[in-house]
Amino acid sequence: MKSCLTLLIILLTQSIFSQELFVITDPASNLPTNSMSVNVMNSIFIENTADINYHLMPEISYGIDKNLMVRSSFFLSNRNNHLYLEGVNIMGKYRILSIDDLHSHFRMAAYGRYSMNRADIHQEQIEIVGHNSGFETGLIATKLNNKLAISSSLSFEYATDNKPNYIFPKEMGNKAMNYTVSFGRLIYPRNYNNFNQTNINLMVEFVGQTINKTNKTYADIVSAVQFIFNSQMRIDLAYRKEIVSSMLRSAPNGVYMNLYYTFFNLSKN
Amino acid sequence: MKKNYILIILLFILSKNGLSQLAKIELQATGLTCSMCSLSIQKQLQTIKEVDSIYTNIETSTYFIILKKNNKLTPNIFKEKVEKAGFFVGNFIATANLDAMDKNSYILVDDCKLNNTEIKFHVIDKGFVTAQEFKKLSKQYKRIQTYTSNNENDFHIKLIEP
Repeated sequence: MKSCLTLLIILLTQSIFSQELFVITDPASNLPTNSMSVNVMNSIFIENTADINYHLMPEISYGIDKNLMVRSSFFLSNRNNHLYLEGVNIMGKYRILSIDDLHSHFRMAAYGRYSMNRADIHQEQIEIVGHNSGFETGLIATKLNNKLAISSSLSFEYATDNKPNYIFPKEMGNKAMNYTVSFGRLIYPRNYNNFNQTNINLMVEFVGQTINKTNKTYADIVSAVQFIFNSQMRIDLAYRKEIVSSMLRSAPNGVYMNLYYTFFNLSKN
Repeated sequence: MKKNYILIILLFILSKNGLSQLAKIELQATGLTCSMCSLSIQKQLQTIKEVDSIYTNIETSTYFIILKKNNKLTPNIFKEKVEKAGFFVGNFIATANLDAMDKNSYILVDDCKLNNTEIKFHVIDKGFVTAQEFKKLSKQYKRIQTYTSNNENDFHIKLIEP
Protein backbone atom coordinates (compact mmCIF):
# COMPACT_ATOMS: atom_id res chain seq x y z
CA MET A 1 0.00 0.00 0.00
CA LYS A 2 2.83 2.33 0.93
CA SER A 3 4.56 1.68 -2.38
CA CYS A 4 1.30 2.42 -4.20
CA LEU A 5 1.02 5.76 -2.46
CA THR A 6 4.66 6.55 -3.21
CA LEU A 7 4.11 5.75 -6.87
CA LEU A 8 1.05 7.97 -6.86
CA ILE A 9 2.95 10.87 -5.30
CA ILE A 10 5.76 10.44 -7.83
CA LEU A 11 3.19 10.52 -10.62
CA LEU A 12 1.53 13.64 -9.29
CA THR A 13 4.67 15.61 -8.67
CA GLN A 14 6.75 14.62 -11.67
CA SER A 15 4.23 14.40 -14.43
CA ILE A 16 5.19 16.34 -17.48
CA PHE A 17 3.25 14.37 -20.01
CA SER A 18 0.27 12.15 -19.55
CA GLN A 19 -2.51 10.31 -21.24
CA GLU A 20 -6.04 9.48 -20.41
CA LEU A 21 -6.35 6.25 -22.34
CA PHE A 22 -6.95 4.27 -19.20
CA VAL A 23 -7.01 0.50 -19.06
CA ILE A 24 -10.17 -0.35 -17.17
CA THR A 25 -11.98 2.97 -16.84
CA ASP A 26 -13.18 5.33 -19.52
CA PRO A 27 -12.20 9.00 -19.77
CA ALA A 28 -14.83 11.69 -20.39
CA SER A 29 -13.47 12.13 -23.92
CA ASN A 30 -14.91 10.07 -26.75
CA LEU A 31 -13.77 8.47 -29.96
CA PRO A 32 -13.53 10.84 -32.95
CA THR A 33 -16.62 11.09 -35.15
CA ASN A 34 -16.92 8.30 -37.69
CA SER A 35 -13.99 6.35 -36.23
CA MET A 36 -14.09 2.81 -34.95
CA SER A 37 -11.88 1.14 -32.44
CA VAL A 38 -11.50 -2.55 -31.88
CA ASN A 39 -10.29 -3.75 -28.50
CA VAL A 40 -9.39 -7.31 -27.62
CA MET A 41 -9.12 -7.53 -23.87
CA ASN A 42 -7.57 -10.65 -22.38
CA SER A 43 -7.45 -11.22 -18.65
CA ILE A 44 -6.16 -14.01 -16.49
CA PHE A 45 -7.40 -14.12 -12.91
CA ILE A 46 -6.53 -16.58 -10.20
CA GLU A 47 -9.63 -18.07 -8.55
CA ASN A 48 -9.75 -18.64 -4.79
CA THR A 49 -9.79 -22.32 -5.65
CA ALA A 50 -6.40 -21.79 -7.38
CA ASP A 51 -8.00 -22.36 -10.79
CA ILE A 52 -6.81 -20.05 -13.51
CA ASN A 53 -9.61 -18.13 -15.08
CA TYR A 54 -9.23 -16.75 -18.62
CA HIS A 55 -11.56 -14.03 -19.90
CA LEU A 56 -11.67 -12.81 -23.47
CA MET A 57 -13.54 -9.60 -24.10
CA PRO A 58 -13.62 -8.31 -27.67
CA GLU A 59 -15.27 -4.93 -28.08
CA ILE A 60 -16.08 -2.50 -30.87
CA SER A 61 -16.57 1.23 -30.27
CA TYR A 62 -17.82 3.83 -32.73
CA GLY A 63 -17.94 7.63 -32.62
CA ILE A 64 -21.38 8.72 -33.86
CA ASP A 65 -20.73 12.43 -33.53
CA LYS A 66 -18.40 14.72 -31.63
CA ASN A 67 -20.25 14.05 -28.36
CA LEU A 68 -21.69 10.55 -28.62
CA MET A 69 -20.03 7.16 -28.86
CA VAL A 70 -21.37 3.64 -28.59
CA ARG A 71 -19.72 0.35 -27.74
CA SER A 72 -20.59 -3.30 -27.88
CA SER A 73 -18.67 -5.93 -25.90
CA PHE A 74 -18.72 -9.70 -25.77
CA PHE A 75 -17.68 -11.76 -22.75
CA LEU A 76 -16.11 -15.16 -23.10
CA SER A 77 -14.46 -17.25 -20.39
CA ASN A 78 -13.10 -20.71 -19.79
CA ARG A 79 -14.80 -21.18 -16.41
CA ASN A 80 -16.64 -24.17 -17.88
CA ASN A 81 -13.39 -25.69 -19.14
CA HIS A 82 -13.88 -24.44 -22.66
CA LEU A 83 -14.20 -20.95 -24.10
CA TYR A 84 -17.86 -20.03 -23.71
CA LEU A 85 -19.79 -16.90 -24.66
CA GLU A 86 -21.26 -15.78 -21.35
CA GLY A 87 -22.67 -12.40 -22.18
CA VAL A 88 -22.91 -9.21 -24.22
CA ASN A 89 -22.99 -5.57 -23.33
CA ILE A 90 -23.98 -2.33 -25.05
CA MET A 91 -22.83 1.07 -23.89
CA GLY A 92 -23.37 4.70 -24.82
CA LYS A 93 -21.35 7.67 -23.61
CA TYR A 94 -22.26 11.31 -24.12
CA ARG A 95 -19.89 14.20 -23.49
CA ILE A 96 -21.88 16.81 -21.61
CA LEU A 97 -19.21 19.40 -20.83
CA SER A 98 -15.96 20.56 -22.42
CA ILE A 99 -13.84 23.38 -21.09
CA ASP A 100 -10.76 23.22 -23.28
CA ASP A 101 -7.72 25.44 -23.34
CA LEU A 102 -4.36 25.26 -25.10
CA HIS A 103 -2.80 22.70 -22.79
CA SER A 104 -5.66 21.67 -20.60
CA HIS A 105 -9.20 20.47 -20.56
CA PHE A 106 -11.93 19.63 -18.13
CA ARG A 107 -14.57 17.34 -19.53
CA MET A 108 -17.56 15.49 -18.22
CA ALA A 109 -19.54 12.67 -19.72
CA ALA A 110 -22.61 10.64 -18.80
CA TYR A 111 -22.81 6.99 -19.72
CA GLY A 112 -25.10 4.03 -19.51
CA ARG A 113 -24.60 0.34 -20.21
CA TYR A 114 -26.81 -2.69 -20.37
CA SER A 115 -25.60 -6.27 -20.11
CA MET A 116 -26.98 -9.72 -20.60
CA ASN A 117 -25.07 -12.57 -19.03
CA ARG A 118 -25.91 -16.26 -18.67
CA ALA A 119 -23.00 -17.39 -16.48
CA ASP A 120 -23.48 -18.67 -12.92
CA ILE A 121 -23.49 -15.98 -10.23
CA HIS A 122 -20.53 -16.83 -8.06
CA GLN A 123 -19.62 -13.68 -6.13
CA GLU A 124 -21.08 -10.78 -4.17
CA GLN A 125 -19.27 -8.21 -6.27
CA ILE A 126 -21.57 -6.85 -8.96
CA GLU A 127 -19.87 -6.56 -12.32
CA ILE A 128 -22.08 -6.18 -15.36
CA VAL A 129 -18.94 -6.02 -17.47
CA GLY A 130 -18.40 -9.75 -17.70
CA HIS A 131 -20.31 -11.33 -14.81
CA ASN A 132 -23.83 -10.07 -14.23
CA SER A 133 -26.86 -9.10 -16.24
CA GLY A 134 -28.09 -5.60 -15.44
CA PHE A 135 -27.42 -1.96 -16.11
CA GLU A 136 -25.09 0.76 -14.97
CA THR A 137 -25.27 4.52 -15.30
CA GLY A 138 -22.77 7.10 -14.19
CA LEU A 139 -20.82 10.31 -14.62
CA ILE A 140 -17.16 10.73 -15.54
CA ALA A 141 -15.03 13.84 -15.00
CA THR A 142 -11.57 14.13 -16.55
CA LYS A 143 -9.10 16.92 -15.93
CA LEU A 144 -6.03 17.39 -18.08
CA ASN A 145 -3.70 20.12 -16.91
CA ASN A 146 -0.17 20.74 -18.16
CA LYS A 147 -0.41 17.23 -19.57
CA LEU A 148 -1.31 15.55 -16.29
CA ALA A 149 -4.59 13.64 -16.60
CA ILE A 150 -6.76 12.73 -13.65
CA SER A 151 -10.09 11.06 -14.17
CA SER A 152 -12.81 10.05 -11.77
CA SER A 153 -16.18 8.39 -12.10
CA LEU A 154 -19.20 7.61 -9.99
CA SER A 155 -21.84 5.13 -11.09
CA PHE A 156 -24.89 3.21 -9.99
CA GLU A 157 -25.03 -0.47 -10.92
CA TYR A 158 -28.06 -2.75 -10.81
CA ALA A 159 -27.83 -6.50 -11.28
CA THR A 160 -30.65 -8.75 -12.42
CA ASP A 161 -30.97 -12.53 -12.84
CA ASN A 162 -28.52 -14.20 -15.19
CA LYS A 163 -31.22 -15.74 -17.35
CA PRO A 164 -32.19 -18.39 -18.10
CA ASN A 165 -30.64 -20.51 -15.35
CA TYR A 166 -29.26 -18.33 -12.57
CA ILE A 167 -31.37 -16.22 -10.23
CA PHE A 168 -29.63 -13.37 -8.42
CA PRO A 169 -29.45 -14.53 -4.76
CA LYS A 170 -31.84 -12.39 -2.67
CA GLU A 171 -29.55 -12.22 0.35
CA MET A 172 -26.87 -10.44 -1.69
CA GLY A 173 -27.58 -6.82 -2.53
CA ASN A 174 -28.15 -6.26 -6.25
CA LYS A 175 -27.57 -2.51 -6.23
CA ALA A 176 -24.16 -0.90 -5.83
CA MET A 177 -22.24 2.32 -6.14
CA ASN A 178 -18.94 2.27 -8.03
CA TYR A 179 -16.20 4.84 -7.84
CA THR A 180 -12.92 5.14 -9.71
CA VAL A 181 -9.92 7.46 -9.75
CA SER A 182 -7.30 7.16 -12.51
CA PHE A 183 -3.95 8.78 -13.19
CA GLY A 184 -1.86 8.54 -16.35
CA ARG A 185 1.53 9.76 -17.46
CA LEU A 186 3.48 9.55 -20.71
CA ILE A 187 7.07 8.57 -19.96
CA TYR A 188 8.36 8.21 -23.52
CA PRO A 189 9.00 10.06 -25.79
CA ARG A 190 10.11 13.25 -24.07
CA ASN A 191 9.35 15.22 -27.22
CA TYR A 192 7.03 14.28 -30.02
CA ASN A 193 8.59 14.36 -33.49
CA ASN A 194 6.27 12.25 -35.56
CA PHE A 195 3.28 9.93 -35.46
CA ASN A 196 5.42 6.80 -35.70
CA GLN A 197 7.19 7.23 -32.37
CA THR A 198 6.29 4.55 -29.87
CA ASN A 199 4.67 6.05 -26.78
CA ILE A 200 4.98 4.46 -23.36
CA ASN A 201 2.50 5.42 -20.67
CA LEU A 202 2.23 4.51 -17.01
CA MET A 203 -1.19 4.34 -15.43
CA VAL A 204 -2.49 3.85 -11.92
CA GLU A 205 -6.18 3.32 -11.35
CA PHE A 206 -8.21 2.81 -8.19
CA VAL A 207 -11.52 1.03 -8.50
CA GLY A 208 -14.04 0.52 -5.70
CA GLN A 209 -17.57 -0.67 -5.05
CA THR A 210 -20.03 -0.58 -2.15
CA ILE A 211 -23.12 -2.81 -2.18
CA ASN A 212 -26.04 -0.67 -1.03
CA LYS A 213 -27.90 -3.37 0.93
CA THR A 214 -25.01 -4.96 2.81
CA ASN A 215 -22.54 -2.05 2.86
CA LYS A 216 -19.85 -4.52 1.77
CA THR A 217 -16.99 -2.84 -0.04
CA TYR A 218 -13.92 -3.56 -2.08
CA ALA A 219 -11.12 -1.42 -3.47
CA ASP A 220 -8.54 -2.47 -6.06
CA ILE A 221 -5.47 -0.89 -7.55
CA VAL A 222 -4.64 -1.41 -11.20
CA SER A 223 -1.18 -0.48 -12.39
CA ALA A 224 -0.43 -0.59 -16.09
CA VAL A 225 2.13 0.05 -18.73
CA GLN A 226 0.82 1.00 -22.14
CA PHE A 227 2.52 1.05 -25.52
CA ILE A 228 1.15 3.03 -28.45
CA PHE A 229 2.47 2.25 -31.91
CA ASN A 230 2.06 4.58 -34.90
CA SER A 231 -0.46 6.62 -32.87
CA GLN A 232 -3.04 4.02 -33.84
CA MET A 233 -2.39 0.72 -32.07
CA ARG A 234 -2.26 0.27 -28.33
CA ILE A 235 -1.13 -2.56 -26.10
CA ASP A 236 -1.87 -2.46 -22.36
CA LEU A 237 -0.25 -4.73 -19.80
CA ALA A 238 -1.88 -4.34 -16.41
CA TYR A 239 -1.94 -5.93 -13.00
CA ARG A 240 -4.98 -5.74 -10.73
CA LYS A 241 -4.63 -6.23 -6.98
CA GLU A 242 -7.19 -6.10 -4.23
CA ILE A 243 -6.36 -3.53 -1.54
CA VAL A 244 -9.33 -4.07 0.78
CA SER A 245 -12.49 -6.15 0.59
CA SER A 246 -15.33 -7.19 2.86
CA MET A 247 -17.23 -9.06 0.15
CA LEU A 248 -16.96 -12.44 -1.49
CA ARG A 249 -15.06 -12.21 -4.74
CA SER A 250 -14.07 -15.26 -6.69
CA ALA A 251 -10.95 -13.93 -8.43
CA PRO A 252 -9.89 -10.42 -7.44
CA ASN A 253 -6.23 -10.51 -8.52
CA GLY A 254 -5.02 -10.91 -12.05
CA VAL A 255 -3.47 -9.50 -15.19
CA TYR A 256 -4.79 -7.86 -18.35
CA MET A 257 -3.36 -7.81 -21.84
CA ASN A 258 -5.32 -5.57 -24.17
CA LEU A 259 -4.87 -4.95 -27.85
CA TYR A 260 -6.53 -1.85 -29.22
CA TYR A 261 -6.69 -0.51 -32.76
CA THR A 262 -8.38 2.62 -34.13
CA PHE A 263 -9.75 2.88 -37.66
CA PHE A 264 -10.15 6.55 -38.53
CA ASN A 265 -12.83 7.95 -40.88
CA LEU A 266 -14.84 4.91 -41.87
CA SER A 267 -16.83 6.81 -44.49
CA LYS A 268 -15.61 9.79 -46.45
CA ASN A 269 -17.86 12.51 -45.06
CA MET B 1 -14.44 57.59 -33.14
CA LYS B 2 -17.15 54.93 -33.10
CA LYS B 3 -18.57 56.27 -36.37
CA ASN B 4 -15.15 56.07 -37.95
CA TYR B 5 -14.82 52.42 -37.10
CA ILE B 6 -18.23 51.58 -38.49
CA LEU B 7 -17.38 53.50 -41.64
CA ILE B 8 -14.11 51.64 -42.07
CA ILE B 9 -15.83 48.31 -41.57
CA LEU B 10 -18.63 49.20 -43.95
CA LEU B 11 -16.22 50.45 -46.57
CA PHE B 12 -14.25 47.28 -46.22
CA ILE B 13 -17.27 45.05 -46.62
CA LEU B 14 -18.53 47.05 -49.59
CA SER B 15 -15.25 47.23 -51.40
CA LYS B 16 -14.08 43.71 -50.67
CA ASN B 17 -17.17 41.70 -50.09
CA GLY B 18 -15.35 38.65 -48.85
CA LEU B 19 -11.71 38.17 -49.60
CA SER B 20 -10.47 34.62 -49.79
CA GLN B 21 -9.48 32.36 -51.52
CA LEU B 22 -7.71 30.70 -48.68
CA ALA B 23 -4.25 29.45 -49.57
CA LYS B 24 -2.67 28.38 -46.28
CA ILE B 25 -4.00 27.66 -42.82
CA GLU B 26 -2.15 27.39 -39.57
CA LEU B 27 -4.39 26.14 -36.80
CA GLN B 28 -3.71 25.16 -33.24
CA ALA B 29 -6.04 22.70 -31.55
CA THR B 30 -6.83 22.77 -27.84
CA GLY B 31 -7.50 20.17 -25.19
CA LEU B 32 -5.05 17.47 -26.27
CA THR B 33 -1.54 16.27 -25.48
CA CYS B 34 -1.23 12.85 -27.08
CA SER B 35 -0.10 11.84 -30.55
CA MET B 36 -3.16 9.59 -30.97
CA CYS B 37 -5.37 12.65 -30.46
CA SER B 38 -3.24 14.68 -32.88
CA LEU B 39 -3.55 11.94 -35.47
CA SER B 40 -7.33 11.87 -35.13
CA ILE B 41 -7.44 15.60 -35.98
CA GLN B 42 -5.03 15.13 -38.89
CA LYS B 43 -7.18 12.29 -40.26
CA GLN B 44 -10.27 14.51 -40.05
CA LEU B 45 -8.49 17.38 -41.83
CA GLN B 46 -7.35 14.99 -44.56
CA THR B 47 -10.98 14.30 -45.47
CA ILE B 48 -11.24 17.85 -46.88
CA LYS B 49 -10.60 17.24 -50.56
CA GLU B 50 -9.28 20.77 -51.12
CA VAL B 51 -6.39 20.06 -48.74
CA ASP B 52 -3.13 19.64 -50.61
CA SER B 53 -0.80 18.81 -47.72
CA ILE B 54 -0.59 18.98 -43.94
CA TYR B 55 2.46 19.33 -41.74
CA THR B 56 1.79 18.68 -38.05
CA ASN B 57 3.71 19.78 -35.00
CA ILE B 58 2.46 17.22 -32.46
CA GLU B 59 4.22 18.95 -29.58
CA THR B 60 2.23 22.17 -30.01
CA SER B 61 -0.87 20.58 -31.65
CA THR B 62 -0.41 22.90 -34.63
CA TYR B 63 -1.41 21.98 -38.19
CA PHE B 64 0.10 23.75 -41.20
CA ILE B 65 -2.25 23.18 -44.10
CA ILE B 66 -1.62 24.01 -47.75
CA LEU B 67 -4.80 24.24 -49.78
CA LYS B 68 -5.36 23.52 -53.45
CA LYS B 69 -5.85 26.48 -55.77
CA ASN B 70 -9.32 27.76 -56.67
CA ASN B 71 -10.92 26.32 -53.57
CA LYS B 72 -13.99 27.98 -52.09
CA LEU B 73 -13.40 26.95 -48.51
CA THR B 74 -14.23 29.11 -45.53
CA PRO B 75 -12.68 28.75 -42.06
CA ASN B 76 -15.80 26.90 -40.85
CA ILE B 77 -14.86 23.56 -42.37
CA PHE B 78 -11.61 23.42 -40.40
CA LYS B 79 -13.36 24.21 -37.13
CA GLU B 80 -15.98 21.57 -37.88
CA LYS B 81 -13.35 18.90 -38.58
CA VAL B 82 -11.34 19.61 -35.42
CA GLU B 83 -14.53 19.45 -33.37
CA LYS B 84 -15.50 16.17 -35.04
CA ALA B 85 -12.23 14.73 -33.75
CA GLY B 86 -13.35 15.77 -30.26
CA PHE B 87 -11.29 18.93 -29.82
CA PHE B 88 -11.46 22.68 -30.41
CA VAL B 89 -9.60 25.32 -32.39
CA GLY B 90 -7.56 27.65 -30.17
CA ASN B 91 -5.79 29.71 -32.80
CA PHE B 92 -6.51 30.12 -36.51
CA ILE B 93 -4.26 31.93 -38.97
CA ALA B 94 -5.02 32.04 -42.68
CA THR B 95 -3.20 33.30 -45.73
CA ALA B 96 -5.55 34.41 -48.47
CA ASN B 97 -5.56 36.01 -51.88
CA LEU B 98 -7.38 39.33 -51.82
CA ASP B 99 -8.17 39.29 -55.52
CA ALA B 100 -10.02 36.03 -55.45
CA MET B 101 -13.54 36.88 -54.42
CA ASP B 102 -16.22 34.74 -52.88
CA LYS B 103 -19.54 35.32 -51.21
CA ASN B 104 -18.40 35.16 -47.63
CA SER B 105 -17.90 38.21 -45.51
CA TYR B 106 -14.60 38.88 -43.87
CA ILE B 107 -14.73 41.81 -41.52
CA LEU B 108 -11.58 43.61 -40.57
CA VAL B 109 -11.78 44.59 -36.92
CA ASP B 110 -8.85 46.99 -36.81
CA ASP B 111 -8.11 50.09 -38.79
CA CYS B 112 -5.36 49.28 -41.28
CA LYS B 113 -4.57 49.50 -44.95
CA LEU B 114 -4.45 46.53 -47.29
CA ASN B 115 -1.41 46.92 -49.51
CA ASN B 116 -0.69 43.40 -50.66
CA THR B 117 -2.77 40.98 -52.65
CA GLU B 118 -1.77 38.18 -50.30
CA ILE B 119 -2.69 38.82 -46.69
CA LYS B 120 -2.24 36.86 -43.48
CA PHE B 121 -4.80 37.15 -40.73
CA HIS B 122 -6.15 35.74 -37.49
CA VAL B 123 -9.77 34.69 -37.39
CA ILE B 124 -11.04 35.83 -34.00
CA ASP B 125 -14.62 34.57 -33.97
CA LYS B 126 -16.03 32.19 -31.38
CA GLY B 127 -14.70 28.72 -32.03
CA PHE B 128 -11.49 30.03 -33.64
CA VAL B 129 -9.89 31.27 -30.42
CA THR B 130 -9.91 29.77 -26.92
CA ALA B 131 -13.03 30.38 -24.84
CA GLN B 132 -11.03 32.62 -22.52
CA GLU B 133 -9.64 34.65 -25.41
CA PHE B 134 -13.11 35.04 -26.90
CA LYS B 135 -14.36 36.51 -23.62
CA LYS B 136 -11.58 39.10 -23.71
CA LEU B 137 -12.14 39.89 -27.40
CA SER B 138 -15.90 40.25 -26.90
CA LYS B 139 -15.24 43.08 -24.48
CA GLN B 140 -12.63 44.63 -26.74
CA TYR B 141 -14.85 44.54 -29.82
CA LYS B 142 -18.26 45.07 -28.27
CA ARG B 143 -18.67 48.09 -30.57
CA ILE B 144 -18.74 45.74 -33.57
CA GLN B 145 -22.25 44.40 -33.67
CA THR B 146 -21.53 41.59 -36.08
CA TYR B 147 -18.81 40.29 -33.75
CA THR B 148 -21.06 39.81 -30.78
CA SER B 149 -23.92 38.41 -32.86
CA ASN B 150 -21.83 35.33 -33.77
CA ASN B 151 -23.17 34.84 -37.26
CA GLU B 152 -21.31 31.79 -38.50
CA ASN B 153 -20.85 33.15 -42.01
CA ASP B 154 -19.16 36.35 -40.85
CA PHE B 155 -15.47 36.08 -40.14
CA HIS B 156 -13.85 38.77 -38.07
CA ILE B 157 -10.19 39.07 -38.88
CA LYS B 158 -7.12 40.78 -37.58
CA LEU B 159 -4.28 41.33 -40.01
CA ILE B 160 -0.82 40.04 -39.24
CA GLU B 161 1.89 42.36 -40.47
CA PRO B 162 4.07 40.72 -43.12
